[in-house]
Amino acid sequence: MSDPKDFVAALDSDARKTPRRIAFITKRTSPQVRVKDEDRVMTYPEVFFRTAVAIEVLLIALVVTSLLWDAPLEGLADPMHTPNPAKAPWYFLGLQELLHYFPPVVAGVLIPGLVVMALIIIPYFNINVEAEGLWLRNKSRRLRIFGIVVVIFCVFLAVFDVWVALVPTLIVAGFMLLAALTDPQTAKGFREWLMRKPLSFWIMTWFLVELFVLTAIGTFFRGPGWSWVLPWRA
Amino acid sequence: MSDDPKATTPPDGPEEMSRRNFFIKMGVGSVTVAALGTAAFSCQYLSPNVLYEPSPIVDAGKPDHYPPDSVTLDPQTAIYVVRTAEGFFALSAICTHLGCLTAYKPELGIIACPCHGSKFKTDGVKIEGPAPRPLPWLRMWLSDDGNLMVDRSNAVAIKQLVRV
Amino acid sequence: MANTLDHLAEQVRENRVWRSIFRSGTGASNLHRALFVQQNVFLHLFSVKARKRTLEFSATWYLGALTFGTFLVLVITGVLLMLYYHPSVPQAYADMKDLQFVVSSGVFLRNLHRWSAHAMVFLVFAHMFKVFYRGAYRPPREFNWVIGVVLLLVTLLLSYTGYLLPWDQLAYWAVTVGSNIASAVPVMGSKIRFLMLGGTAVNANALLRFYVLHCVILPFAAILFIAIHFWRIRKDGGIYAGEPATEVKNR
Repeated sequence: MSDPKDFVAALDSDARKTPRRIAFITKRTSPQVRVKDEDRVMTYPEVFFRTAVAIEVLLIALVVTSLLWDAPLEGLADPMHTPNPAKAPWYFLGLQELLHYFPPVVAGVLIPGLVVMALIIIPYFNINVEAEGLWLRNKSRRLRIFGIVVVIFCVFLAVFDVWVALVPTLIVAGFMLLAALTDPQTAKGFREWLMRKPLSFWIMTWFLVELFVLTAIGTFFRGPGWSWVLPWRA
Repeated sequence: MSDDPKATTPPDGPEEMSRRNFFIKMGVGSVTVAALGTAAFSCQYLSPNVLYEPSPIVDAGKPDHYPPDSVTLDPQTAIYVVRTAEGFFALSAICTHLGCLTAYKPELGIIACPCHGSKFKTDGVKIEGPAPRPLPWLRMWLSDDGNLMVDRSNAVAIKQLVRV
Repeated sequence: MANTLDHLAEQVRENRVWRSIFRSGTGASNLHRALFVQQNVFLHLFSVKARKRTLEFSATWYLGALTFGTFLVLVITGVLLMLYYHPSVPQAYADMKDLQFVVSSGVFLRNLHRWSAHAMVFLVFAHMFKVFYRGAYRPPREFNWVIGVVLLLVTLLLSYTGYLLPWDQLAYWAVTVGSNIASAVPVMGSKIRFLMLGGTAVNANALLRFYVLHCVILPFAAILFIAIHFWRIRKDGGIYAGEPATEVKNR
């Protein structure tokens, strides 16, 4: 490095410049490349440190929880003595609540099976790809179909006394109606936001609400013999 | 070649430290403390506090059970109870070479190891073979009810006999 | 003091052994930052540059990364717990008591494992809902969504098989209920239950099967599908940041 040169080769690069990429995308490639140019940052340190901090925060929360609260451990397994109630882990309690109303084939096999299948086929349905508000087209026809489906479903649930599922269904249906009754031109705020939601949003939200309610009931509101208890009284 | 992560920050003066360097040092320091603490606790965790193994103390029974001038092997606890005219002592029956169980050969009056041919006298001293050390003497004493007790975890340097 | 530390650090970094391991060197230039990612076997799954919009907290809430974080915690605590656990009846329960009262930090590790497991189930559901509500499942990301559903099932199975291992009343009857639900599957139900338990009752065979599932088979499946899941993110053009869904014409 003793000769003086007219230029100095440097290893820094201008962080702002993004190189232009030219690629020939032939048919059926594995990478799905979009051509748009966007603001990019270096993975290290931007992504790396953000992810590290997120995981560290999680770890602190988990460690503090572990120091303060003990995991449960009951008595030795005794095949001759069934505890009352015999509850599944919390993520299965929604299912166990359904088991109270329907036979195991339905609540244990059919419904979970249908749920998993429905989840898998979500991205393959065109109605989900178009993120268009449900009531923005063919309103009266869709309202009729909506009415029939909701009524049949609610009657079905009422016949089997599944009030725990019926009430959330009615609540979600209520919000859907609210969206339907919103005038697209004059809508503002929350009602406008509701009005824009597509069918896929409503179905998923219904699923989320049901999951939440059923799990909460199975966890807090069911006692011995799967009877109804009020947790603040027990 | 720029090798310094702080290359874009001017170096600290003798008495000052930039905020960036301070935070870097705090960060690296606390990660180091956390890592050391985790390592220390992990070592503690990995080392068991309770062993489910039989006690090293062996009750060898009443002295009268042993004939005079005898060498008796207890294979379960791997000790020899040796009774001489002067008294009792206990030897470890585990060969000092690689840990095989030795055997007493009464016709030859020696203790022999079947694995690599080490031979020992009945006082533990090596006669021949690859064993590096003699068979250790184990601490022996008489319990309150008159039983011979041997502590397998305690090898004694001074060869004392238990006289009965 | 500070200068001697720096000097020491520099000597370590200049050292021949160090440079044979870490060949790209450290530095503040973009070249070094790129090499740090691209030359590392673990990190080169990431692209060297990331789109700025994907880093916003409101985009993903970092739920995917957090789920993976809980998974790592579970693997580490799980392996450590395995050192004191015998999957036999009734030794398993005795080992749980040992971990609680005798083993140093045993109660902490067990708690951490248990709460991380609950956290992971919760986070994986939250991640799924977040991905759905921001439309990140739409083409070309459809198959990655399906991989995600598979990972959801693997997570639930991992949690379920782990639940039996303490062999306490909670574990035993939760699995009894679960295996009876499995037998409700038409046609194959009782056969499925028989294979699941390695017998007709929840006993030593069932414990061993669940142990192997929980510690070997399912973690292996999880790691496999996580790898595919991350790979697909890369191939789909990175984390979704609000682009319109594409009609893929080149089919």
